[in-house]
Amino acid sequence: MNITFKKSGDVEIAEIEGSIDSKTAPELQQSILNVIAATSKIILDMTKVGFVSSAGLRVLLMVYRQLKGKDGKIVLVGVSDEIKDVMFMTGFISFFEIEKSLDEALHKISA
Amino acid sequence: MSTETQTFNAVVDELEPIRDFVTEKALAAGADNRKNYALCLAIDEIATNIMRYGYPLAGITDGKIDVTITTGENTLTIILEDSAVPFDPMHHMLPTDDDLNKPLEDRPIGGLGIMLAQQSVDELKYEYVNSKNRNIFIVNI
Repeated sequence: MNITFKKSGDVEIAEIEGSIDSKTAPELQQSILNVIAATSKIILDMTKVGFVSSAGLRVLLMVYRQLKGKDGKIVLVGVSDEIKDVMFMTGFISFFEIEKSLDEALHKISA
Repeated sequence: MSTETQTFNAVVDELEPIRDFVTEKALAAGADNRKNYALCLAIDEIATNIMRYGYPLAGITDGKIDVTITTGENTLTIILEDSAVPFDPMHHMLPTDDDLNKPLEDRPIGGLGIMLAQQSVDELKYEYVNSKNRNIFIVNI
């Protein structure tokens, strides 16, 4: 798994590539938490993520909690149908904004 | 009907190789991407438990997981076999509907993996035979 951060205005964009499982989740969580310590708006671009297990959901949960505590915002982009299935089964889907493109996500998060 | 077994070290670095092995067999057997993903998810969750809890609780540091895949006419059967502490995922506390409807900030963090494993395959069975855990995943293709 690889994670690349870039900034657009006050929004952090994290582009994730690969699988989010029990091996990669701790590293992903740490790097995202580091970044959101200094910002309250983050977009997770998951276009290149092929697999998310419950370990990945736990990362989303931690990030969501951190941001909620400081009135922040998170938007997901490029979530595959299979990953949406997992988010649906666990009830996560209703707590996250999911957009098809980065442009739409930027529009949503800045609104 | 064909059967193949591969042995993996019970460490999280092996999760991806296990998924690759399962994916190769599942796609060859005619599973679509959605079905394959669900199967990989179920196996990943149970394998993770074996690696992170089963073997450490048994005090075993060089544990193995045997993955046996049998392709039948309309089904795919995957068996994970390990020598860790006995653990029946069927008798594990699962999140309740009440938990799943809670706002994310109030949710208990555990238990999701086993729930996903159970829901992602047509059948999940557990046996403890000859001092080994055997988790059996069956999907209809």
